[in-house]
Amino acid sequence: MSLERLIKNCIKQDAQAQSQLYKQYASKLFSLCLKYSKNYAEAEDNLHDAFITVFSKIDQYNNKGSFEGWLKRIAINTSLQRYRDNFGVYDIVNEGNIEDVSVDIHDEDLSIDFLLKIIQELPDRYRLVFNLYVLDGYSHVEISELINISTGTSKSNLARARMILKEKIEDYKSNGNSQSS
Amino acid sequence: MNDKKNIDRLFQEKFKDFEAAPSDAVWNRISDSLPEKKRKRRVVALWWQVGGIAAAIALLLTIGISVFNSDPKSSVDPDVVDTENTNDNSSSKDKQNELKDDAKYEKLEFVDSEKGSESINDLKGDDSLEKKSESENLISNPKSQLNSVTVYSDNKDNGSDSNKEREKLTTTTDKENTKVASVNNKKLENSNKSELANDKELRSVINKTIEDSDTAVSDNSTTKNSENSNSENTDATAATEDLDKEKKDILKEDPKKESILDAIAANNTEDRDIDEKEKEDEQNRWSIKPNVAPVYYSSLGKGSSIDGQFNENSKSSDINMSYGISTSYAVTKKLKVRTGVNVVNLNQMTSDVLAVSIPNQSPSASFTASGTGAVVQKYPNVTLNNHTQNVSIMSAKSMVSASSLDMSSYKVSNIDQRFGFIEVPLELEYRLLDNKFGVNVIGGFSTFFLNDNEIYADLDGETTLIGEANNINNTSFSANFGLGLDYSLSKQWNINLEPQFKYQINTFNNTSGNYRPFFIGVYTGLSFKF
Repeated sequence: MSLERLIKNCIKQDAQAQSQLYKQYASKLFSLCLKYSKNYAEAEDNLHDAFITVFSKIDQYNNKGSFEGWLKRIAINTSLQRYRDNFGVYDIVNEGNIEDVSVDIHDEDLSIDFLLKIIQELPDRYRLVFNLYVLDGYSHVEISELINISTGTSKSNLARARMILKEKIEDYKSNGNSQSS
Repeated sequence: MNDKKNIDRLFQEKFKDFEAAPSDAVWNRISDSLPEKKRKRRVVALWWQVGGIAAAIALLLTIGISVFNSDPKSSVDPDVVDTENTNDNSSSKDKQNELKDDAKYEKLEFVDSEKGSESINDLKGDDSLEKKSESENLISNPKSQLNSVTVYSDNKDNGSDSNKEREKLTTTTDKENTKVASVNNKKLENSNKSELANDKELRSVINKTIEDSDTAVSDNSTTKNSENSNSENTDATAATEDLDKEKKDILKEDPKKESILDAIAANNTEDRDIDEKEKEDEQNRWSIKPNVAPVYYSSLGKGSSIDGQFNENSKSSDINMSYGISTSYAVTKKLKVRTGVNVVNLNQMTSDVLAVSIPNQSPSASFTASGTGAVVQKYPNVTLNNHTQNVSIMSAKSMVSASSLDMSSYKVSNIDQRFGFIEVPLELEYRLLDNKFGVNVIGGFSTFFLNDNEIYADLDGETTLIGEANNINNTSFSANFGLGLDYSLSKQWNINLEPQFKYQINTFNNTSGNYRPFFIGVYTGLSFKF
């Protein structure tokens, strides 16, 4: 079934088409949800909510952009939704301005599971900003609009996220080294 | 191994092809909460309704035709009525379930769309301009529709009073519209979370304008002369119906713009459908009505159900009573299906009859012995009681020609045939006029179950039970036609007056002459809607 046909049948709420659409895109969207969530269960909830939104709004997909991009945006937004309302509070705290520090590390044979784990362990907003900026290519302006923070906050959050990640990787590396030696 | 790498690039490379399969439980949860096959189910529900009515009419016709055309002895399956009833019940029940389901799904979808629309709004900032203009469009539409209504009434020469009211109404709704429009615009500019709110507001405004114009129209019609009110009213309702339709059409327009507007429009129309259904539901589809009626029994042609010799005798009926209870279900605003149970008692007096009791002789012997063969006979349609075996009845008219008996010793008297039924009608009621005073036409059929069957004769000055007719079918039918008049006392209570004509089908076997019985009843009752 072509994608166009599949989408049309999904608009008609054909159960089989919905199932096929899910099978086709669940893995991709779930990886997104995992990055943006703090654990597996939350990621599953977000995936569920995202697909419900997809199926109820699929008639609004206008064939202009890529369908996968449309799905991803919904998945990201669903994931952000959970945190969006709480972020105003944090802004009161002055977090200082650590901007655009490039953090270099030695390329180790790091597993994706480990990297995912340390992303999920980041504080909520650091995680979102890091994901949006580094992994999904949003600008600081876009991020500031998406999650209601200033661009300055977005930048400093990103820098802090990088630092934390670097520390964790280095910790892991030294631990791994000490175990192996 | 030791080359330094930017941490961003590390993550980007690692996550480039990252995919993770979720557990099956996620899909199960999703498919459980999807409103599957909603449209199809609604269509099915509609088919149940339409099909139910069609089936009822078809059944009615077949029974009528087959009974009219067939040998009166041929039995008609008495179960027919039962199946009809169950059919009807199940269809209406189904429909109610349907409605509930729909409502439930609608809620679900609502919740979903809340989340969805927010997220999409966020993502599509560039759409908001388009949206804005479209929603303005949307808002301006009801306004223009209202204007057209005003124009419409302007064209009529007698609507001067109502015009003012309407104009007032139009201006108020205009105000409301512009208010909402400004709110909408503001919200759209502020963007993100207003989608659903707009949707709701739009809908409520549209509904409100519809309701307002409805009430205005009905107000107008009540203030008008009674002469004009009929045509006026129907015109006005037609106008508002057009208005509704046009609004819906407008909401459905612009298929090319596959933006959020379409979804709003679809939502609106769907919601409206459901709202209407719910409204109709609230509007007391069921009613129950105890009724009582004087009934008069007669025959269209000359003939007798008792014996051929009485064909020419004059016959009359007392005014008897029928009473019972009926219940009706409003399939649409105009059409009702109704059924019930009634007890009907009927009688027929055959006058100019000689009833003689000849003791110590068996009836057949006595009459054959008297040698007046033309008159004397057994009556195949009458089963005599034991103690009246020796009673003989004969028409005084035929006695005149064959008068070998001594006429003077016999008094001319009557035979009184009485019979009663339990009647189960199944009728359709179509509403012609729907005001405080209503007019309906009624058509349908009844099934009759015999529960009383007696023949009395005046014997020696006393009215004596001499036996019963054996040619009345235990189950018989009638075709019913009637006119229903009602007057509403309150929203729930109505007084009804229904003159009805019931043409009886295969009530008797073996009638002689052109005996076509019917009865007329004027049913009065008090109906209660719930």
